[in-house]
Amino acid sequence: VNREKPRYSPQVRDLFARLPGADPLPAGSGAWVTGEAIELDRGAWVRFDARVEGGRIVDCVFHAWGCPHTLAATAWTALELRMRAVPDCAPVDAARLARELDIPTEKMGRLLVVEDALAALLAGARAVQ
Amino acid sequence: VTASPPIYLDHAATTPLDPRVAAVICECLSDASLQANPASAHGPGRAAAARIAEARLQVARLIHATPESIVFTSGATESVNLAVLGAARAAAPGRRHVVTSRVEHRAGLDACSQLEREGFEVTWLKPDAGGLIEPGAVAASIRPDTALVSLMHANNETGVLTDIEAVSAVCVEGGVVFHSDAAQSAGRIPIDVAASGIALLSFCAHKLGGPKGAGALYVRGRPRPALQPLVFGGAHERGLRSGTLACHQIVGFGAACGIAGAALDDEAARIRELRERLWQALQPAAPLWRNGAPGPSVPGILNVGFAGIEGESLLLEMDGRLAVSSGSACSSATAEPSYVLRALGRSDAAIQASLRLSLGRTTTGADIERAARLLVDGVRRLRSALPDGALERIA
Repeated sequence: VNREKPRYSPQVRDLFARLPGADPLPAGSGAWVTGEAIELDRGAWVRFDARVEGGRIVDCVFHAWGCPHTLAATAWTALELRMRAVPDCAPVDAARLARELDIPTEKMGRLLVVEDALAALLAGARAVQ
Repeated sequence: VTASPPIYLDHAATTPLDPRVAAVICECLSDASLQANPASAHGPGRAAAARIAEARLQVARLIHATPESIVFTSGATESVNLAVLGAARAAAPGRRHVVTSRVEHRAGLDACSQLEREGFEVTWLKPDAGGLIEPGAVAASIRPDTALVSLMHANNETGVLTDIEAVSAVCVEGGVVFHSDAAQSAGRIPIDVAASGIALLSFCAHKLGGPKGAGALYVRGRPRPALQPLVFGGAHERGLRSGTLACHQIVGFGAACGIAGAALDDEAARIRELRERLWQALQPAAPLWRNGAPGPSVPGILNVGFAGIEGESLLLEMDGRLAVSSGSACSSATAEPSYVLRALGRSDAAIQASLRLSLGRTTTGADIERAARLLVDGVRRLRSALPDGALERIA
């Protein structure tokens, strides 16, 4: 039986339905850092906001415009960063996002925008730690 | 707990089969005396042919044509191909120019592209910002070597109507064959081919409550446009479309035309009113805009853009609750932004933010209220996740 693969994985559907972390950055101590990438032609605009304290990302939120895969990948990344020590935060690349969330290859261009926003955030975090 | 079925607002893609049509088709399929080849001379064959003749009359009446002018096909795509390729290829040797527009359905675009590959020159008219092709622009593009003008009556994405009476007059004056793709307008608004003098008109059953797999090409009687067939083998349909006629499909097509024709004015008014109610009910989701308005349009299509919204996300947000098409729906195989909206000058982001909501016979006022609530709530949720400034830039 040749069954067509579902367009969205269960993880993507769940993250899209909840959009965890799509909120304003809560008030708190520590430095506020931002990473943003805008590629309207690619169909994605991603912004991470994080609070860095004691060399650790104590909170991370996001805002994004894009397809369900983009929103889910951004939400997943923001969740992954929380409470991580900044030196331990290796950049999450598009290929890993695709693997983790079972995102089709044609969405790789949009995942690169998530990757770029994350790289900008981590650069800012390293600068203030 | 049984979930409600999704609200169907995709009547421009296809319409639900009218139960009365389904009953006629079932009756036709289950009647052994109608299973013979309608081209056969024996009694059962003549019985099938009689039902087809009756259907041909019903189909013809819908557009004020004579039954002899109706050629049955497999659908509007085949009708458009027969009209465009058939008329151009049958034109006099010196006529190698065709006029069409950039906002045609893919059936028309691809047929004209094929003509280019065969050495024809094609003028691709650009619509104005509202999606309208002005008859004056058509007149200006006609040359002594023009063989054919092919323009859709109602655009399948915006619903914008071409003034086919005016274009037909221009073509008659220029001695040019005029074909119109009326897949979105036949059975939804009145069409009078006799009064307009149009040479060729394509339409199909499944856009007006009939079955998929049945279509028609109207071919004017006098003067009769020259047409080269695409399919050979039996000279059915006056030599223009060979192949055994599918009696049950055609009988269903005829029934659907009869039903649509009887309720045409009332349904058009009802659906137009519902469409405007939907537009008003969506206002809490402002900023938003209409693609293709203002101007004459078919009653059922509302193409609306929501600032800051990505169409695929909105479709998933509506998944299981609302059946609609996004700005990329008509080229969904490639997920490319709609070429129709692009031709109207919309940015890719604005196209991605657009949905086509199309209403039809089964649409109720309750559907409209519920659909609007779902859309407004969905748009608000997705906007709550937008980065600062995105709402202004993505429009």
